[in-house]
Amino acid sequence: MTPDTIIKTFELSKTYQSHEVIHNLSFELKRGERIAFFAPSGAGKTTLIHILAGLEPATSGSLLVNETAPVVFFQEPRLFPYMTVEENIKLPWRIKKDSWTIQTQLHYQEWLRVCELNAWKNHYPYQLSGGMRQKAALIRGFLGNPALVLMDEPFQSIGQAAKTTIIEFIKRHYPNLAILMATHSLEEIPLLTDSVYYFVSNQLVTPSKLNSFDFQSLFSGLLNPAPVFVPSH
Amino acid sequence: MKTSRIFISALLTEAVGILVILVIWGGVSTFYPPYIIPSPVETLKGISSELPVGLSGHLAVTLYRILTGFLIAFLLGTFGGILSMLARADKPVNSLMVALQVVPGTILGVIFLLMFGIGSATPILLVAFLTLPTLAINTTNGISKRNTGTENYLHSIKASKWQIIRYSYLPALVPVIQSNLSLGISMAVKVVVLGEFIGSQDGLGYLLNRARIIFNMQEVFFYLLLLMAFSLAFQAIQSLVFTVSLKKFAYPEAR
Repeated sequence: MTPDTIIKTFELSKTYQSHEVIHNLSFELKRGERIAFFAPSGAGKTTLIHILAGLEPATSGSLLVNETAPVVFFQEPRLFPYMTVEENIKLPWRIKKDSWTIQTQLHYQEWLRVCELNAWKNHYPYQLSGGMRQKAALIRGFLGNPALVLMDEPFQSIGQAAKTTIIEFIKRHYPNLAILMATHSLEEIPLLTDSVYYFVSNQLVTPSKLNSFDFQSLFSGLLNPAPVFVPSH
Repeated sequence: MKTSRIFISALLTEAVGILVILVIWGGVSTFYPPYIIPSPVETLKGISSELPVGLSGHLAVTLYRILTGFLIAFLLGTFGGILSMLARADKPVNSLMVALQVVPGTILGVIFLLMFGIGSATPILLVAFLTLPTLAINTTNGISKRNTGTENYLHSIKASKWQIIRYSYLPALVPVIQSNLSLGISMAVKVVVLGEFIGSQDGLGYLLNRARIIFNMQEVFFYLLLLMAFSLAFQAIQSLVFTVSLKKFAYPEAR
């Protein structure tokens, strides 16, 4: 393991009763690296994210996450229904008792502009569309300038144009960020990540990383999947 | 919405139930002579001409017993429920509460009467003991339905145990507390009458018992009406408090 390593797993497995969800998974993520885990639904992506985030234990194997506070983006935005968008976004600062600086405020306003949420910041989550809620969750996670983010289908409710804008913004403002993104959306892979691991069922099909663009064209050519269309709300 | 308008609206909502009861009561009273079931109008007319001596004192004693007994049950039930969830002892505590629930009120009342004698202790303890299991079970059930998604998020940002209680457990408790207040007070009103039947020489339950023995049905129905009016006012006040200050905790969860 090099000092650059931010995540390393060795023969990681997870079993629920008799069902093995993750089987002998070994991989490494370096600081500043952006990789995708491409897998169909039910292949254990969410379980992997939960294990890496320390929310549930692995059944066997070893795991090292060399970052004290990885930010997790869950499939659902997980906003608190009794807080406004702004209160939700500021919650991590209240939890960590950190001060909300002028720089943070400026960065926050920039994020609101990019996500077109300025007019909605004082609304409650139930008043927002699914895409807006997911954007609010993205702001809440990225605003703290994390070194590592673990993303589980983070853009699934966000429209194509907004998704592209947000991803460009992330790439421009967080060049050294390490990203592990679990997705089953082929089009998101080259947009945000450099390389990809491909899973089927609970097995890692590609033993080494593939270039995101190569993977997308190869996969599209082989299987010709239906174009992914995520409606904007 | 203005506070007074919210209160009136809550009062009207509660009044619908009373109105239905009055209509049914009025309807049934047409089939019976007034000495068996007097109509609501006859009841109010009869009582207004001859109010029972010391009614306000009896009413105050009963309200004191309801509120004291209920407060004990509410605090023990709600905080006991929370603590049992935090200590992961909710299943044995629930079993204990279910066991307590099957103890007949009359038997418990006689036991308290023998232990504490005639006075306020019997009705207060009866209210506390008979209301407590329902409130504790309701609390553990309510907390077990809290949003585990946002709780997981709190774990992921390394929130402390207290912060998880504050942002996940306490908000989940708001509807539980509201239902505990609503459910508990209705039970407390019923139980206090039983307690005053068994072990008191004052209070509405005592007056009710006295009127029942001499078949003064006008008085019986009047006291029942008073108890219903108290429940209505209490429900309207708690509805007002929750609507004005805790409304956001009832907002739907957007997943």
